[in-house]
Amino acid sequence: MMATPVPTADLPNKITVRNLDFFYGDHRALKDVTIGLPTNRVTAFIGPSGCGKSTLLRVLNRMYDLYPKQRAEGEVLLDGENILDPRVDLNLLRARVGMVFQKPTPFPMSIYDNIAFGIRLYEKLSKSALNQRVEDALRGAALWDEVKDKLHMSGLGLSGGQQQRLCIARSVAIQPEVILFDEPCSALDPISTAKVEELIDELSERYTIAIVTHNMQQAVRVSDYTAFMYLGELVEFGETDAVFANPREKRTQDYITGRFG
Amino acid sequence: MSDHIVKAYDRDLETLGRRIAEMGGIAEKMLAEAMDALAVFDVALAQRVVLTDVRLDALQREIEESAILTIARRQPLAIDLRECIAAIRISGDLERVGDLAKNIAKRTVKIVGESRVPRAIIGLKSMHDVAALQLKDALDAYAQRDVERARAVWTNDAELDALEDSVFRDLLTFMMEDPRNISFCTHLLFCSKNLERIGDHTTNIAETVIYLVTGEPMPTERPKTRPSNIDGENPPGSPH
Repeated sequence: MMATPVPTADLPNKITVRNLDFFYGDHRALKDVTIGLPTNRVTAFIGPSGCGKSTLLRVLNRMYDLYPKQRAEGEVLLDGENILDPRVDLNLLRARVGMVFQKPTPFPMSIYDNIAFGIRLYEKLSKSALNQRVEDALRGAALWDEVKDKLHMSGLGLSGGQQQRLCIARSVAIQPEVILFDEPCSALDPISTAKVEELIDELSERYTIAIVTHNMQQAVRVSDYTAFMYLGELVEFGETDAVFANPREKRTQDYITGRFG
Repeated sequence: MSDHIVKAYDRDLETLGRRIAEMGGIAEKMLAEAMDALAVFDVALAQRVVLTDVRLDALQREIEESAILTIARRQPLAIDLRECIAAIRISGDLERVGDLAKNIAKRTVKIVGESRVPRAIIGLKSMHDVAALQLKDALDAYAQRDVERARAVWTNDAELDALEDSVFRDLLTFMMEDPRNISFCTHLLFCSKNLERIGDHTTNIAETVIYLVTGEPMPTERPKTRPSNIDGENPPGSPH
């Protein structure tokens, strides 16, 4: 059960990161990271706070562009195209690579409009087509049955778990190819967490998924591949079962078993 | 291995290891005393062995319970998870070793009046020497997390199997020489089977140690010295 080497040969990678460095001003937060995210698989990123896992996620849809003095060097290929290229259309990129955050971030509008808002930005749909898309997205996020009778109530009136699934529905609605989850369950109770995990499982049939989590058991449960990061470096990457049963690196072992590194 | 951030976690795992060591000591002592009792037909000693088994069973239940609790409480991963699984497996094997030693002691009480061919016990003594040494090595391998030693135990089990075959032939000869030996020798035959099984449990322990340390699945094929047809088809005259 040794952790297998990076499985680049087995599966085509939806996203390939090559020699990526990332800087917050002078601080180098990612150091020469090279990793591939296999298509239609769930890849989990684990590591202590400040190890760079969320930073890496933010590079994958260039979220960092919104902030001054942050820059990335290296290559991030989405289907072979380097998304770090300044000429890349960021709106289009973020439509292809959706993101769900730690805290649910519903817009202060109706449940329906939370979903429809993003769709309207990218497409002109007839009312019935839009209705259908909203329903599909809510069904896809396992939220439809709970909200179908109150679509015009505010999204802020939902419970935390429902709000998070609303945000997932919002990502799904614009039909992305990749979904990034940044600790999607850390503010949720166990039942809502289970629902989101079940959702991630279903979504992985259609989307390539990256998830950052501090919950090791969650990484074991939801992911096919796991990357362990430490101090801005990618320490170990392999099949999840192998990484958690028999990690190759001592630092990985120390971290996942709760020892000092 | 460095310490866990949660110190109680270290204590949980240490306690498991200590209890396994305690079980190992008791099982070794039971086996040695059962064989001593058999050698000199000491009924009192044999009965003490039977009573000791209660303690071994209780320890096994304790280990199993605390391993399960540790899994529930700490959700161990990697080496820590293997520690818990290894403790459950090894305690199970040691409990069986105790049962088999107890069975030898019980048979000693039964045959004490009819020690017809004392030389029949010599072969069993050699089996015990090997079995006891193997058990000690397996327990040391566990205590020291010593893979090489565990591998050696695993390989050496073939010696015990070969000795059992030879004891089987001897006992068969004694029974053919004089049918009045049959009851006595049959009990000894079971004792030799018990010793051989103790060897198997010892091999299991060695396999568990290899799994514990390396994380590799255990090998599926054990070394055998016997021809495979004897193992498979039970022809007349074979012990299987």
